[in-house]
Amino acid sequence: MKALRVVVILAAFVVAALVVYRYVLQPRFQAADTITVYYSEIDGATLVPWKVSLGPDRSRKSVAAYALAQVLVGPPSQVEAIRFPAGTVTRGVTLDGSTLVADLGGTIAGSVGGSFAEAGEFKALVWTMTALPDIKAVQIEIDGRKVATLPGGHLELDQPLARSNF
Amino acid sequence: MNSISRWRVRIFRTLALSLILSAFAGLFTPRAAVAQPGSGYWFAGSTLVFAKAQNRNGNLAVALDDPGLSKFLSKLGASVNYVAGQRYVVIASGDRRAITFTIGDTHFSDGEIRGEAPFAPFQSGASVYLPFLTLARVLSVVPVGDNGTTVLQPQISALDIRIRDRVTTITLRGALPLKFKRSSPAQSERVVLSFAGVASTLDPERAVRGSAEVRSVTINVAGSPRNPTTTVTFDAGRGTLHALAPSETPNVVSIGFAGPGIALAGSAIPEAGPPNVAVAPARTVSAVETHRALPPPPAVLIDPTTIRNDDYAAVGGALPVDNAVPPPPLAPPVTVTSIDLTASDQALSVRIGVSGAVRYEWHRLGDNRWYIDIKDATLGVPGRDEQPQTAAVSSVRIRQFNDDPDPTVRVAFDLTSPRQVDVAPVQGGLTITIGASDDPQPQRVGAGRLTGGAIVAVAPLAGSNDIWSPPSQTVAHPYVPTNPKLIVIDPGHGGSDVGAVHNGLVEKDINLDIARRLRTLLVARGWQVKMTRDSDVDVASPNASAHDELQARCDVANDAGARLFVSVHVNSFPTTAQNGTTTYYYKDSDRPLADAVRTRLETIGTADKGVRKEEFYVIHHTTMPATLIETAFLSNSSDAALLRSPDFLRKVAVAIADGIGDYAANNPVNTSGGS
Repeated sequence: MKALRVVVILAAFVVAALVVYRYVLQPRFQAADTITVYYSEIDGATLVPWKVSLGPDRSRKSVAAYALAQVLVGPPSQVEAIRFPAGTVTRGVTLDGSTLVADLGGTIAGSVGGSFAEAGEFKALVWTMTALPDIKAVQIEIDGRKVATLPGGHLELDQPLARSNF
Repeated sequence: MNSISRWRVRIFRTLALSLILSAFAGLFTPRAAVAQPGSGYWFAGSTLVFAKAQNRNGNLAVALDDPGLSKFLSKLGASVNYVAGQRYVVIASGDRRAITFTIGDTHFSDGEIRGEAPFAPFQSGASVYLPFLTLARVLSVVPVGDNGTTVLQPQISALDIRIRDRVTTITLRGALPLKFKRSSPAQSERVVLSFAGVASTLDPERAVRGSAEVRSVTINVAGSPRNPTTTVTFDAGRGTLHALAPSETPNVVSIGFAGPGIALAGSAIPEAGPPNVAVAPARTVSAVETHRALPPPPAVLIDPTTIRNDDYAAVGGALPVDNAVPPPPLAPPVTVTSIDLTASDQALSVRIGVSGAVRYEWHRLGDNRWYIDIKDATLGVPGRDEQPQTAAVSSVRIRQFNDDPDPTVRVAFDLTSPRQVDVAPVQGGLTITIGASDDPQPQRVGAGRLTGGAIVAVAPLAGSNDIWSPPSQTVAHPYVPTNPKLIVIDPGHGGSDVGAVHNGLVEKDINLDIARRLRTLLVARGWQVKMTRDSDVDVASPNASAHDELQARCDVANDAGARLFVSVHVNSFPTTAQNGTTTYYYKDSDRPLADAVRTRLETIGTADKGVRKEEFYVIHHTTMPATLIETAFLSNSSDAALLRSPDFLRKVAVAIADGIGDYAANNPVNTSGGS
């Protein structure tokens, strides 16, 4: 009888704890956990890391998609940086071993910029993505397709880019 | 017993409470929500209607793929980053803030600032729903009542003051691209700017402490809730100069004020502005590119059945369906164009011609069979079996070994004994030589890469199980031009690809101008010159892919066996901040040429941005030493002024020609290959 009582009390606590966890506590923003995002200074040579807080989803793919979005948005507008054209967005990320396939879309698909900006933009992107664990290289796609360069572009994008490419 | 009863009562009470709580919570899960179209908001001159909206505890939830939301975000200059199946939704505001919502979490972040929404974003069907009014507020759009209608009013949300080196810079940030009219005289010390269509909740009067240049900033909002106008008055000190500072985003307007005699960057404040936020013109695309450059603007009132997939691209391809990703493209096809066998009594030489960059891998099997696989290539000649007249092999088989998606051409030999086999990349392919003698310690496996004729490396395959193979070696083969007097000049862009456009200047035209001047100089100095284009045309074809267009330029030089390849460009940048000349290289063999040219370019009167290594297509895929020169920035007004001057273009051409001369004097041509 006593054992039954203990079991019933424990079961009640477990149910209550689950309810509290599901609807009250979870999911919590874990502010302490960050990723490193890079931007290129306007000298085109200096890379600057900055920390961005990470939300509750820690799966590899989610974190990769999040980091990619952060590097496309870039640092706050007060910071002078080489930036992806406004309206460049993440369409998808796929992990292929240690290579991340980053599918970009939006304004970059019609981008005709200078080689200087291109180099700074993609350098920051590759450094950001390869700062994530186990990612060594980034294959860029534009609107779901591998391209040799951006339209009217210069930087070669049809091979995976690693830090050593810059 | 009594205490046991009390415990039972408590336990059951707890359980009942838990169940009731669960039931209540269950009521608010997505599946219980009933779709309700938005009641209609007034926003930026028209009614905003949401086709995919739900009522969530009395709050409006709108789907990411709702056309009304796309329209709302696109007017604000905001864009959505969302990958189907993931929990994070990152929205880039027009003033470059990253706003992150997480499915299942009421918390959101605006940069490093955290907030809490009345409900967590959720997935319903294939769509992700966000708390709309929370999103609007974070984007500095405030709901205001107006005769029973809710007006979504964009705000000037921030006023930043920076005082540095006797220059006070005041920056206004708007929810949407800011357009102003100046109502003060151009030379006045008081600057008055009116912004139509935006309101402001900023303090109406702000004293600027610590600034000798600006005393105060006054903000006055007038007009109706639907058509507000915010007038900002900058009260500057006597003798102060002012200028509109370059801005990276149209949502931000910055004005600099400097005391007399202090240098001030920027341009005069126009009567209506901003005149040229660099972002849009810098990204001008040619007619051929336009159809894929920008998605069509969504209509105001949208019937969801008429939405094409393209419309969703405006908010970042937010189609929340996994299979929405288009199929991957076919890699540029590489063909094995020829296989020639040359047999002697005791040896066999096989030359394999390929049309582009390929990888290869060879294996030696224990029973004297030896084969090589050319990866990602298709056989452009008939497969065949041969018994060549030689003692080295008994037979050769040439086959398309694998088809798509992993096309492989295999050439297999039956050796008569463990013969020595050499694999040597040569221009346009590779040569396999089966020698007269046996190899006492034959390698079992090896691999390499051909870059459309150039030789990258020849090395045994990593991870080889051949424990007694010699250590790997990378063999660099010096480039041998077939025409040592020929220089190929590549005027960048052309035809349908205009390159950058700024300040009334078009990159493709300037590139051609400089290239023609360079040709004249080089020919006068005894060189032969071939141009990848000598008019305003595409080198491949107007509809060619970037790969085909750029490869066509490389092919001009590669096919001719030119000694050097020089690509002439003009740079651009989204703001006016960049100026100067950059000389690029990629291959190690490019560096001396780039250095020599850069040294001479230091004299043309631009800022020297140095020599930089970048994997630009045309310098990577040309087999000879190559350089790409970005002569100056179209997007910078002083560089643009230089580029308008024929004298400057002549100086650039002279500097490049001199650099080529210096290079040639110090780097005599190779006359023998390495293999």
